Amino acid sequence: MTIVGSLKDVVRARQPRISALPEMAAAVLILDEDRKVEYVNASAEKLFMPVDPIGCTLSALFASCGATGGDEVFVAVDTSAEPAPMRLRLSDDRLLDCTLRSLSSGGFVVSMDDVTTYVRNAELAERDALTGLANRKALRDRLVERLASAARTGDATAVLYVDLDRFKAVNDTLGHPLGDALLRKVAERFKSALRDGDVVARIGGDEFAVIQSNAPQPAAATALATRLVDLISRAYAIDGHMLHIGASVGVAIAPDDGYEPDVLLKNADLALYRAKAEGRGCHRFFEPGMDERMQARRSMEIDLRRALALKQLELVYQPQFDLASSDIIGFEALIRWHHPTRGLVPPEEFIPFAEEIGVISAIGEWVLRTACKQAAAWPKPVAIAVNLSALQFRGGKLAETVISALAQSQLPVQRLELEITEGALLNNTDDVLNVLNRLRELGVAVSMDDFGTGYSSLGYLQKFSFNKIKIDQCFIRDIDTHADRQAILRAVTSLAVALRMKTIAEGVETEAELACIRAAGCDEVQGYLTGRPMPGGAVMALLEPACSAENF
Amino acid sequence: MPDDLYRLVYYSRNTITGDATALAAAITSILAKSQVNNQRVGVTGALMFNSGCFAQVLEGSRSAVEDVFERIQQDDRHGDVSLLAFDPAPARAFENWSMGFVGASIDDAARYGALVQDSGFDPARMTGESLFETLRKLAIEEEYAAA
Ligand SMILES: Cc1cc2nc3c(=O)[nH]c(=O)nc-3n(C[C@H](O)[C@H](O)[C@H](O)COP(=O)(O)O)c2cc1C
Repeated sequence: MTIVGSLKDVVRARQPRISALPEMAAAVLILDEDRKVEYVNASAEKLFMPVDPIGCTLSALFASCGATGGDEVFVAVDTSAEPAPMRLRLSDDRLLDCTLRSLSSGGFVVSMDDVTTYVRNAELAERDALTGLANRKALRDRLVERLASAARTGDATAVLYVDLDRFKAVNDTLGHPLGDALLRKVAERFKSALRDGDVVARIGGDEFAVIQSNAPQPAAATALATRLVDLISRAYAIDGHMLHIGASVGVAIAPDDGYEPDVLLKNADLALYRAKAEGRGCHRFFEPGMDERMQARRSMEIDLRRALALKQLELVYQPQFDLASSDIIGFEALIRWHHPTRGLVPPEEFIPFAEEIGVISAIGEWVLRTACKQAAAWPKPVAIAVNLSALQFRGGKLAETVISALAQSQLPVQRLELEITEGALLNNTDDVLNVLNRLRELGVAVSMDDFGTGYSSLGYLQKFSFNKIKIDQCFIRDIDTHADRQAILRAVTSLAVALRMKTIAEGVETEAELACIRAAGCDEVQGYLTGRPMPGGAVMALLEPACSAENF
Repeated sequence: MPDDLYRLVYYSRNTITGDATALAAAITSILAKSQVNNQRVGVTGALMFNSGCFAQVLEGSRSAVEDVFERIQQDDRHGDVSLLAFDPAPARAFENWSMGFVGASIDDAARYGALVQDSGFDPARMTGESLFETLRKLAIEEEYAAA
């Protein structure tokens, strides 16, 4: 080999300093005073193959493998005693860190480290593997940089937190591979909405964040947030499925909403939280005070998680009457939360919250078991109606829980009536219908609650033959003075007759309303007029044979 | 199966601003680009513009239709995209059209179709099936006229 041959003397001449050079992993070049290569070690030889570096200038050598900057390497050594390595990118995308030092004996030594793997790994450590977007750590690093430079220029920097709505439902029902494919498409949509210089990161399962700098704020953040909500909410066609998700966005802008990275991130999260609380599919800007409200919710959450264990929940029962015979035919179990300092918390305040924080299944199961147990001890075999949350259908355990509650309480199955809202049928309709059919086969009655307040009630009536329709109180209130409500009620009762379902009117408060629902052909009634919710003990008394109720 | 034939039907609201000339130019360029792109991946279909709305049918292998539709979804020249249908199809209905423009000529569509008007065309009230049928009939008329 010519190189080895021509170098023997050089190597020998520079002993012992360079005796280790040939075996070094780093590529080493020695240049003479004319800045031409006079020695290469084995690594360097391999690196530049098939070009023979001897006699070449660095520029020529670098150019041969697609890199530039041969002369710049010298600038560093001319101006500094401790030159920083210069990074070269070769045409095959390898990355080399190149350091040049002058030798006291004249000439220069150049060492080149292949940092490709190192750099790629560092890049990977900054990336979300699924979508290729930046990850949480990289987001924070970029934010630190942006805030530092914004502090110098006085520019605003916006952070947008984005949460996907309904993503979990897609993932749970259609499986992870589809969920992953969806996330990749979402990532693409983010990229298509951003300008150069914006940073987008995936920071959690279905959480994303964007840093927007060098833009007029808050106008630019408003425009971007609006665009993102629109873009992400557009339908997806994936693996033959049509998928619909939504997005909620929280925005915080430095310096007004904080100039510390972590404060800004937290405030964007608080704003996101508000966007979700206000119905999702929208964006909200951070406002002072959000933090306190968040604290309030946290403490509510802690209290609610404990409520069951601390026995702060109680069931009360509201009687239901047959309109023809005036007999009590059953009771609806209603939940009460007595909190030592909050007092009596109304269910409409804590049930949606319990659904949100995922304790509804535990509470729902407690309600079911307690109602069955108490009703089993009643002196008359009247029905007991228990409300089910749509979320209780998730997890596939509902039918087992019902069977177990019946077995444990010894309550005859035909006395149990489950009330569901249309909301329960909105998603995964087929799965929910399977559970309902299974319960029906057991002999449990199922009624449709809040009828008329939801979406496509009539479609659902066709899909499942409910035993009973509960007509929402918004149609009953002041029905005596509203002809339209009377018309609706008549329509619903005749529909029910045709479908062989019973009807019960909820929220009846006056004699006039009662007369109207009787005239409209309703079968049953429940309301303050005919009986307020009462504790279990009062039910026992009411059902004692001695005082058969003649309330109306 | 990713290679099964699928058909996708959607409508959307136009967000291109400007006069009829600008709109016609935009539609022409969308159509030209669509024909090139769709040809490459074996997608066929038809596009219509009326009452300020686009209505489009795409058919092809499942994955090709999904990719094309995803690009269309990211296009800010339209908004409020309503995906009406995405189902396996027994056969192509627009065999000869990498993307046909049906209904009126592009110029007429741009001139008279930009406003939401009482043309009797309201895609919001249509099902995927009826919108598909509408475009298919228009395409047949067009082919007939051309023949
Ligand atoms: C109403 C409408 C229909 C479109 N239809 C198609 C289409 O069928 N095929 C297509 O490739 N692009 C279509 N586009 C254009 C895409 O949105 C996008 O601009 C284009 O595919 C980008 O192509 P390029 O990546 O090759 O530049 C349509 C756009 C609009 C607004």
